[in-house]
Amino acid sequence: MSDAKEYFVQGNEACVEASLASGLKFFAGYPITPSTEVAEGLAHRLPKAGGVFLQMEDEIACISAVIGASWGGVKAMTATSGPGFSLMQEAIGYAAMSETPVVLVNVMRGGPSTGQPTRASQGDVAQTRFGSHGDYQVIAFAPASVQEMFDLTVETFNFSEKYRVPAFLLSDAEIGHMRGLLRVPPDIEVINRKELGVRRQDKASEVPDNLVHPFPTFGRGHKTMVTGMTHTDDSRIEPEDPEVHSELVTRLNEKITRSRKDINRWEVINEDARTMIVAYGSSSFGAREIAAKDRRIGLLRLKSLWPLPEEPIADVAGKCEKMLVCEMNLGQMYSHIKRVALEAGCRTVELLPKIGGDPQTPSEVRSKLREMGAI
Amino acid sequence: MKPVVNLKYCKGCNVCVYICPKKCYSRGAEISEMGYFAAVVSSPEKCYNHNREGKLICELCVLSCPDQAISWFPETEEEKSR
Amino acid sequence: MDIFDFYRKDRWPHVFCPGCGNGTVMNCFYRAFNELGLDLEKTAFVGGIGCSSRIPLYINSDALHTTHGRALAFATGLRLSRLDLSVVVFTGDGDLGAIGGNHFINGCRRNVDMTVICINNNIYGMTGGQASITTPHDYQSTTTPYGNKEYPFDLAEIAVAAGANYVARWTTRHVRELTKAMKTALQKKGFRFVEVVSQCPTNFGRRNKMADPTQMLEWFRESSVRRDKARMAAVDHVDLNLAGQITVGEFVSRDRECYEELLGVGKHGV
Repeated sequence: MSDAKEYFVQGNEACVEASLASGLKFFAGYPITPSTEVAEGLAHRLPKAGGVFLQMEDEIACISAVIGASWGGVKAMTATSGPGFSLMQEAIGYAAMSETPVVLVNVMRGGPSTGQPTRASQGDVAQTRFGSHGDYQVIAFAPASVQEMFDLTVETFNFSEKYRVPAFLLSDAEIGHMRGLLRVPPDIEVINRKELGVRRQDKASEVPDNLVHPFPTFGRGHKTMVTGMTHTDDSRIEPEDPEVHSELVTRLNEKITRSRKDINRWEVINEDARTMIVAYGSSSFGAREIAAKDRRIGLLRLKSLWPLPEEPIADVAGKCEKMLVCEMNLGQMYSHIKRVALEAGCRTVELLPKIGGDPQTPSEVRSKLREMGAI
Repeated sequence: MKPVVNLKYCKGCNVCVYICPKKCYSRGAEISEMGYFAAVVSSPEKCYNHNREGKLICELCVLSCPDQAISWFPETEEEKSR
Repeated sequence: MDIFDFYRKDRWPHVFCPGCGNGTVMNCFYRAFNELGLDLEKTAFVGGIGCSSRIPLYINSDALHTTHGRALAFATGLRLSRLDLSVVVFTGDGDLGAIGGNHFINGCRRNVDMTVICINNNIYGMTGGQASITTPHDYQSTTTPYGNKEYPFDLAEIAVAAGANYVARWTTRHVRELTKAMKTALQKKGFRFVEVVSQCPTNFGRRNKMADPTQMLEWFRESSVRRDKARMAAVDHVDLNLAGQITVGEFVSRDRECYEELLGVGKHGV
């Protein structure tokens, strides 16, 4: 597969390709529909690429092993769906607190609970941002095609490494399982974490401009101390100190929010339209068909979901009069998008939710637009 | 060699008093600077390692001490002769 | 290497209570490690959550202080990504056997190459003395004010049944034997499990008429029976009560292939 340039593959398979191209060397997975193909693909390919594939006893073991492997200095990933994602939340918070670069692929399915194992939803997008306890920020991308399952997986790895943060690829049962054209470019930009070199004592805990400290890989003589407890930048454990806690948690959050413009990814169709639809992943399909044929309707398709891409949202909101958010859930990005849009001057922001597994159809979107008086 | 109790580390738990087969230690009656009734080496001359250099015969106290407060020191000539 | 080359002297005195068995285990581990001439720079330490899980943070080496119960899973990932590093895990009875139970039995089954020191103080000490899966039947804890209605696990026997290459149990009363067992463990391959029955005078002893750590040590001495001399198989008598026994000794020493060998890690490649 490595010589050919075009493939006809499943979304999950494209994700496998991208993770290998990004330098993945450790994967720990647990079977769960509709993500299992990622694990199965890597079970075949990763050992041959000199990496380690493990099937662990449960999802908590998976994410824990992935974090452990990352501290060994390797790129590590796991893949799951809703129920497994819920189990992983504690460890995700740990990865955020300890600033461990890890990649987590969530091929979303109908929830809550066991729900619809084989049907798509976007029901975990809020959980991606708020699933663990405490204040933290993550980076998350939402592919809408097989090609983007590849491209955005590469981005997920790159941003996870660059910002030392857990990063997520939020796919769904449709995109994970659909088959389509994948073009693998000859050169892929791969970013690796900046590792701590020989440490100069006076510079040991200086805070860099981008708020990301170099990564003190294990086994290099750094005597690294990693913990989920509140700690200072020079690894003193100080859970009782309000200032230490406040400084640490604030930095962990600002590390991401300050770099929003670097992280934001989106696509706009008909950017001067008076009515903008905001959608992502599968919920953008119906809207795209309408925008392609009707200049009155525009589409802002978010490719990154977290941190919330406020700038592109505000940008289109400032120019349009009405906004319609399409999500395959009962409104998880909606209130956040609405806040930004109303502040930017858009007059009304409405929601077209859809659950059950099918994306919003063009006629459903058209009905809603008519109801809104947009067409 | 003789055992010495580091008063900065000893928390007065008295495990050494209990474990020593020769009863070299006793429970302290004075409060140390750290606020504990630190153990006292009351009979170092009974220690298996008294008047012995090189390989130590018994280290139960050092191994047992939960606070790493006991270590071996060379004895003075006077101490060796007791 | 002096003991305070091994441990981070700037963190002494440590936070463990007066008389806590953790400090005793730390002495024995240091001895075993040092006598074998092992290299701290080539060893990584992992702990879960609990008093004993904090020991890695006192060691002058790389330390991964993880989430409650998951130390073995983190350690598995770390070990498999870095075959050049030896991994030692410090954990407790609750961390390993309750919330971490699934990772415990699977770690043994996979026979991942790591040394696991489980300091079993029969209680959840850090959080104030709640019953654990090794609290003896009828004993007092803050969540069993009428006496523990449950019976305890025998962690060493579980490790044997699940496939660990080396399993031993001693108590903090048996410092010499414990040191030897740790030395043996550190030299083997695969999943090496050393259970140390240890005193928590503050949160276990104090509620069970053994407030003085020396009383608990005496209890260990009285209750310990060497495995080869045990009159009953542990399976008939899984109990650490005063009338019962703590079976001590080496439970199993075998040479099953370890996980890394089974996977052929490092052997595949393009």
